[in-house]
Amino acid sequence: MALESDDQGGDGFEPKILVFACNWCSYAGADLAGVSRLQMPANCRVIRVMCSARVRPEFVVEALSKGLDGVLVLGCHPGDCHYSEGNYFTRRRGLLLKRLLEYVGIEPERFQVRWVSASEGAKFASTIEQVTKQIKDLGPRRPQRTIQPTGPGER
Amino acid sequence: MEDKLRDIVRQLLGGGDMVYFIGYCEGAGLHHVVPCFVADESEVDKLVWGPLCGQNLGKYVLRGKDSEGRVGLLAKGCDARAIVELVKQHQIDREKVVVVGVPCEGQADRRRLERVLGVPMEQVTKVEDAGDEFRVTVGETTRTVAKKEVLLDKCIHCQHPVAFDFDFTLGDVVPYEIDAEMREYAAVDELEELPLEERRAFWRKQFERCIRCNACREACYACYCKECIFDRKEPRWLDRPPLLPENELYHLIRAVHLAGRCIDCGECERVCPMNIPLSRLYKKVQKDVAELFGYEAGMEYDTVPPLVDFELDDQDPFI
Repeated sequence: MALESDDQGGDGFEPKILVFACNWCSYAGADLAGVSRLQMPANCRVIRVMCSARVRPEFVVEALSKGLDGVLVLGCHPGDCHYSEGNYFTRRRGLLLKRLLEYVGIEPERFQVRWVSASEGAKFASTIEQVTKQIKDLGPRRPQRTIQPTGPGER
Repeated sequence: MEDKLRDIVRQLLGGGDMVYFIGYCEGAGLHHVVPCFVADESEVDKLVWGPLCGQNLGKYVLRGKDSEGRVGLLAKGCDARAIVELVKQHQIDREKVVVVGVPCEGQADRRRLERVLGVPMEQVTKVEDAGDEFRVTVGETTRTVAKKEVLLDKCIHCQHPVAFDFDFTLGDVVPYEIDAEMREYAAVDELEELPLEERRAFWRKQFERCIRCNACREACYACYCKECIFDRKEPRWLDRPPLLPENELYHLIRAVHLAGRCIDCGECERVCPMNIPLSRLYKKVQKDVAELFGYEAGMEYDTVPPLVDFELDDQDPFI
């Protein structure tokens, strides 16, 4: 799969969004949304992980720096984790990572964390819709693959 | 102070309990101080201490992990914080390290010193502490330079210049006065206040320069992984060419890995051949960790690092 989004921006821009969904809640929620035949944009690629805490910050950073337009991490609501406490770690990590990404100039909307339980098919659909819209408005995140030789800077 | 240091080291080596001592000695000349390993009493006299001992020795302690006896170390505040963190992260045994605390009065940045003095470091024969300035001997003449002009960044904002946990100490720190208006996180705040676009442009300019020599990783006390994820072939996280996306990935992942572990020793920035202001990146994470989780790395043995811990009522304003 080519990581970069197919479109060159403008009105027809269709972003590529990576969704990490936890096996026990959010993936089941996505299933429910599907079985309930809820309509949602087709910009998301879902990857099932056993727990939202499985998502290492590297996954998010790599996806963003290699050209995906957004990353969404979905997990169980706090207190509902199948492994008791996984999503509490996700929460701390996510907060730090989000602040760091913002600091280096990546729009905060491009990395989002949401809690979606197995019974929340409608919430899954609306989350996807909302995030897709936000990222569509931001436009593509096109990394520059050029070499620009520059000398050491001033200290 | 040097005499006292040498006495202590001689005594320790004589006792047969310590296999070697890590300190500083003269490198290419009087102006150039490098880390050194002293394993024999006859070598003790080469140990020096002064304002050019900026290197963090924490990294070298890891080498002594599997040695028979104990390993000694001359520890400024930042080296001592590295030891605390390494003990906490189960990399070394506190019993296997002899910490000789030294009151650090700030370390000079060679590049800044050259700029302020206007002469290459090769001509400098001596740099001495003198309260809030350095006495520098260039050839025959002695000049004084204000500390705030030539200190390493980490020293300007240093909160803990002395080791709090040591086996021997060389004395108490002599307080020195530097510009108190410069807040610790000033450089981070300044960037944070910029609009997103400008921040992106700023970091893009920095990351573009990176040649990925890995010096920052090699100098970092916290990078002790046997196999670094950046060296891994399968899965391969990082493509070889030092292009912008890869460089960005490299630095952001390093920043994330150091969250709650960075002790702000400034080694990464000091060794960077491209002069990338790396500590501005790591300080941001450090600031967030302090702000959100009230944690400071390297200060206590019994606090739990923030990312392996959680509170039920942690805030999640970002969700």
